[in-house]
Amino acid sequence: MSRGRVQAVWSTVFLTPGVGLITLFVFIPIVLTAWISLHQWSMYSPLGSMSYVGLANYADVIGDPVFQQALLNTFVYAVASILLIVPLSVFFGIFLYRPAIRGRSLLRTLLFSTYMVPTVAVAIVWGYLYSPIYGPIDQLLSIVHLPSQAWLGSANEAMLSIIILNIWQTLGYYTVLVLAGLTQIPQDYYDASAIDGAGTLGQTRYVTIPLLHRTLVFVIVIAAINTLQVFDPIYVLTQGGPVNATNVLTYDIYQTAFQFGRAGAASAMAILLLIVLLVAVTTFLRVTRED
Amino acid sequence: MRKLATVVAAALLMAGCSSSGATTAPTQGTAASQAATTKAPATAAGSPVTITFLTHWPPQQVDLLNTYIKKFQASNPNITVQVRAVPFGSLLTTLRTQAGSASGPTIAGIYDLWLPELVQDGIAAKAPAAQVQDIQQNWPANLVSGAVSVNGAIYGYPNEIDLYMLNYNKKLFADAGISAPPSTWQELVTDAKALTKRDSSGKITQQGFGLINSWDSGVVHPWLSFVLSDGGKLLDGTKPLLTSPAAEAVTSLYNQLVSTDKVTDPSMGTSNANTTGPFLDNFTNGKTAMIVMANWWESALQTAMKSNFANVGTAPIPVGPNGDKAHSVSYAWLTVVNAHATADQQAAAWKFLQWLHDTGSGDTAGASGMGDLLMSMGILPSRTSDVQAFQSKLGEPFLKAYVDGLADAVPFPIVLGGAELTVAIQKSIESVEFGQATPQAAMQSAQSQAQQILSQYYK
Repeated sequence: MSRGRVQAVWSTVFLTPGVGLITLFVFIPIVLTAWISLHQWSMYSPLGSMSYVGLANYADVIGDPVFQQALLNTFVYAVASILLIVPLSVFFGIFLYRPAIRGRSLLRTLLFSTYMVPTVAVAIVWGYLYSPIYGPIDQLLSIVHLPSQAWLGSANEAMLSIIILNIWQTLGYYTVLVLAGLTQIPQDYYDASAIDGAGTLGQTRYVTIPLLHRTLVFVIVIAAINTLQVFDPIYVLTQGGPVNATNVLTYDIYQTAFQFGRAGAASAMAILLLIVLLVAVTTFLRVTRED
Repeated sequence: MRKLATVVAAALLMAGCSSSGATTAPTQGTAASQAATTKAPATAAGSPVTITFLTHWPPQQVDLLNTYIKKFQASNPNITVQVRAVPFGSLLTTLRTQAGSASGPTIAGIYDLWLPELVQDGIAAKAPAAQVQDIQQNWPANLVSGAVSVNGAIYGYPNEIDLYMLNYNKKLFADAGISAPPSTWQELVTDAKALTKRDSSGKITQQGFGLINSWDSGVVHPWLSFVLSDGGKLLDGTKPLLTSPAAEAVTSLYNQLVSTDKVTDPSMGTSNANTTGPFLDNFTNGKTAMIVMANWWESALQTAMKSNFANVGTAPIPVGPNGDKAHSVSYAWLTVVNAHATADQQAAAWKFLQWLHDTGSGDTAGASGMGDLLMSMGILPSRTSDVQAFQSKLGEPFLKAYVDGLADAVPFPIVLGGAELTVAIQKSIESVEFGQATPQAAMQSAQSQAQQILSQYYK
């Protein structure tokens, strides 16, 4: 047997388990979801009872104002979260990376600890914090003579409230990613820039940020994927309300599939979300690609 | 996204595969039920069988259920009953994703609105002849035909009945110099104005009348109770009546309370997934003077208010200008058996259900175990003998108005697509509460959506 053929056999042997699992748990479900999206099916009846409807589910879903609202809400949530998370994580990352900061290990642990708490528990606690009139946040506002806010009870503020919750919980995670990126920047660059007269701000502007490029791209992509899949706080706190103000795609898909029993329409929503996400991430990666 | 698609598809796949294992699910369920009837004695005396009971009851009631299970198992050592408790919001999802196989829940407590779809999908098994006879003899006929039957066949044991009344804070009423709860819409508005308090900025700190949002039944059932009390109804057969004068009048009343008179603050009425949250907290904290709610929240009020629970009054729904009398929406819960369970499991499940719902299984003299369980939550039992056994408790101030209102209560229509219909109406009502639509526009939108939803099932 030739050397190339032996290599091919061993490659197949080593790749098969991984590729097989990905095929079983990723590829096949996606294909199945796409197939179901072309059918009318209640999901609780046999697969054989599905009736083919072509692209009717897609037409219904795209024309559905609730889906349109959920799509918009999802992107508002994702974009707002990313716009806040990225600069904050860079700020905290650079701050906690400085050797001069005492107790930085403790601060890193504290910052990361919120990410370790299950989202459902976080959501329940924040539900009490956000309670209008008697909630702690409103009590604090009243102490400093600021007007009480409706938070989750307002169609205008509910989404903002969920975004704040998300940032509070996940900022530590993204800060750790930034810290990991900072460790990859050689000290030589800072020494050279210092000789050239660069101060802290100059080093940050011309050394740290440019060399964090790959890390930041990774942070943005991960944050985008995570935020586009937001579900737990919506389910626990608002059920998509009030008036669809926090209805996001994942919750709409869940409700359509599991509460209304319309698996075909829910699958069409999932496929549309997949397409949108693929286009968005691919475009972003192309735009931010380094030459 | 890939994770999401995978999760959704995997769930769909599991549901599909489990269902596909029984390619003739509906008939199989029927056949299995029949088999269950004949095999029941063999199971009781033969091989051990384990069944599961899926419920959304809170821990205290699950503990109580377990004590009855022990009692049942003492005389039925071959049957093991395990309880699975999930939050209300996950109940239907759990049932639908797990009931496709014999390893799923054998028994489930369900909301009657879900029954037609569970029957259509072959999840709910028909009751065997012995249990049908038991149910027909011991429960009110209108409940049997309206809440546990589909196309004339009985699918489960009715247990609780819920309806809606006006709950009000007697202390706040006394402080405002109001001697009695409102009986008409006009009185409701007048009283709500007198009961509303604001801070120096004009923000409501105590609302005269509370509306619930972010919970479909919590929005639609009180609203529909007002519609019924103004001479209207939700459906004419399967034709929605959301642009009827009564429907628009109630929505306009809501608009008046929120936007014109500003005696209701929607932000104080938010509900969470456990059907608790600010709407409950504001009432128990004396920040909401009146609210329309169902009898089942008695235990939540008692827990939260303790001695202040004595301040809670119950009165009929205020009657609209075109209504003849107060009418509440009512709905029922029932316990069904999984048609995909094995014949032995189904036989054991029906046997347990018959025992649990039978006179003598409870701790109260003449009551069933289910009756005791329901009354521990302030929920009205439906078995005729239970109503008699709990007469003194049902005559207590909080529940008496609910019991009295049963005669004029109107069951929520049981139709295919009922859950989606309820959510569509909920969103339209909320759009008025939050100032995003006029009452007329909201009802037209609701009517259009309701027609579209029902047209999927009824041509």
